[in-house]
Amino acid sequence: MEFVGEANDNKDKSSSSGSLRLWSQWQLLDSILPTGGFAHSFGLEAAMQARLVISPEDLRTYVIHVLENTGSLLLPFVYAAAMSPDTQTWHKLDRLLNAMLTNEVGRKASIAQGSALMRVAASVFSEIPSLKMMRSEALSSGAVSFHHAPIFGLVCGLLGFEAETTQKAYMFVTMRDVISAATRLNLVGPLGAAVLQHQVAPIAEDLSTKWMNRAVEEACQTCPLLDTVQGCHSYLFSRLFCS
Amino acid sequence: MERGKLVVERVEGRSTLTRCFSKYPFKFIVPNKAGSSKADAVWIYTITYGGGVVSGDSMACDVTVGDGATAVLTTQSSTKVYKSVGSKCSQQKMEASIGKGALLVVIPDPVTCFSTAKYSQIQNFKVVPESSLLLVDWITSGRHERGEKWAFSHYKSTNHILLQGNETLFLDTTSLEHGRHGGISERLQDYQVIAMIVLLGPKLKLIQSQIQEDVKKLMSQQLRLPSVSAGCSSESGSSYRLPKPSFLASCSTFGPKGAGVVIRVASMTTESVYNFLQDQLASLEALLGAAPYL
Repeated sequence: MEFVGEANDNKDKSSSSGSLRLWSQWQLLDSILPTGGFAHSFGLEAAMQARLVISPEDLRTYVIHVLENTGSLLLPFVYAAAMSPDTQTWHKLDRLLNAMLTNEVGRKASIAQGSALMRVAASVFSEIPSLKMMRSEALSSGAVSFHHAPIFGLVCGLLGFEAETTQKAYMFVTMRDVISAATRLNLVGPLGAAVLQHQVAPIAEDLSTKWMNRAVEEACQTCPLLDTVQGCHSYLFSRLFCS
Repeated sequence: MERGKLVVERVEGRSTLTRCFSKYPFKFIVPNKAGSSKADAVWIYTITYGGGVVSGDSMACDVTVGDGATAVLTTQSSTKVYKSVGSKCSQQKMEASIGKGALLVVIPDPVTCFSTAKYSQIQNFKVVPESSLLLVDWITSGRHERGEKWAFSHYKSTNHILLQGNETLFLDTTSLEHGRHGGISERLQDYQVIAMIVLLGPKLKLIQSQIQEDVKKLMSQQLRLPSVSAGCSSESGSSYRLPKPSFLASCSTFGPKGAGVVIRVASMTTESVYNFLQDQLASLEALLGAAPYL
């Protein structure tokens, strides 16, 4: 009798931790999480001032290209960190990504978002004390840049999310942030933005499937025009966004 | 497979080619007087038999620039990559080692991949803190007159700079391939040339600052706040609309204390990139004996 009771207890524990995980997932993907994602336009502001993006149709194409480049360059880092959410792997990935984000604007944005995410995650997910430890160690050593993609993978990995979910979530937050920037740049209204996001979702799913679960050695950029334009952000005389 | 070899070292105070081995289908040409004899630099031209890279060709080469020496690697004309037969991919690989106080200048003409070509290149550079490197890596969309614009199957270029054998300073892999959600030409819009220029090391410090300033000035003139009626408005017949800039460039620093500068360029014409390279690299004439891209 006790045996059955224990088994039921275990089942309850695992299903309750599974349900709790869902709440953590939603919180991590909610734009209300104070990670400062709203300060970055992923090169959209520069693309608009360079007349590469003028209409909502151009915006749709732009979002798809951002997702393609995110998939090819950053998903491998999210994947690797999620699969081995430990200090050594994190440091190694952070160093490598720092050398691969050759666009200074994008590199600084990654550092700003990563630092904010690490800070928030260490405070919010207190059931994972290693987050706080890793963060303070990295801050005092000064050897870590705090890039976004590896930290995203690290946090999700430590929270017990599956690798596939983690990578798709990364694509989701990227899509969310570019489209949000587009509304603030007056390229599309809030309702139009929501419609666009839903229309692009199947493409985001396709691109996630295409680029997920790859080794960092395979990471590459597939949209050099995007990279060139985003690098122009610091030349903008008047700007709303940091990047 | 045997690899090509090039070694340039300081011999009796002058940069000298001490080893030169090439294997078919490529060949090195080392003119005795590439430029003024006052400058201390060895110029090496790479050519391919048949004028291009044929499907399935595979080339590998090791380049060593000894301490204090200067070597220039260039081409006679653009590298044409012919169409891929079967699913064969053509490859080029270069492993370069640059010594203390040495300078390696890699200034090829652009790669032009013809319709359905498949091409991949890897360039690894091992440097020490006092090494200098100028690298130009660029590609055009194909034979525009024939209507070939980004019609090749696959292009991949990796450039890797390794400091003292173990620290990756810079790693860029650009991969262009048709995807399900848009071909290469959609991703590159009306731009027909993309280029990447890397400047690293003490001998290139002046050019680094000059080029950053020039690009900033050039681009600031090109970038404009969109007019109020952009986007949301349903009218599309706006009579006044600035065209896209025909030449886009941006600079970024990389490495500790901004040791290196990388410039990315997207241009609608090959000529404007040649002009840009000529202008920006003109001051190297004193160091190399001749100005690049003249």
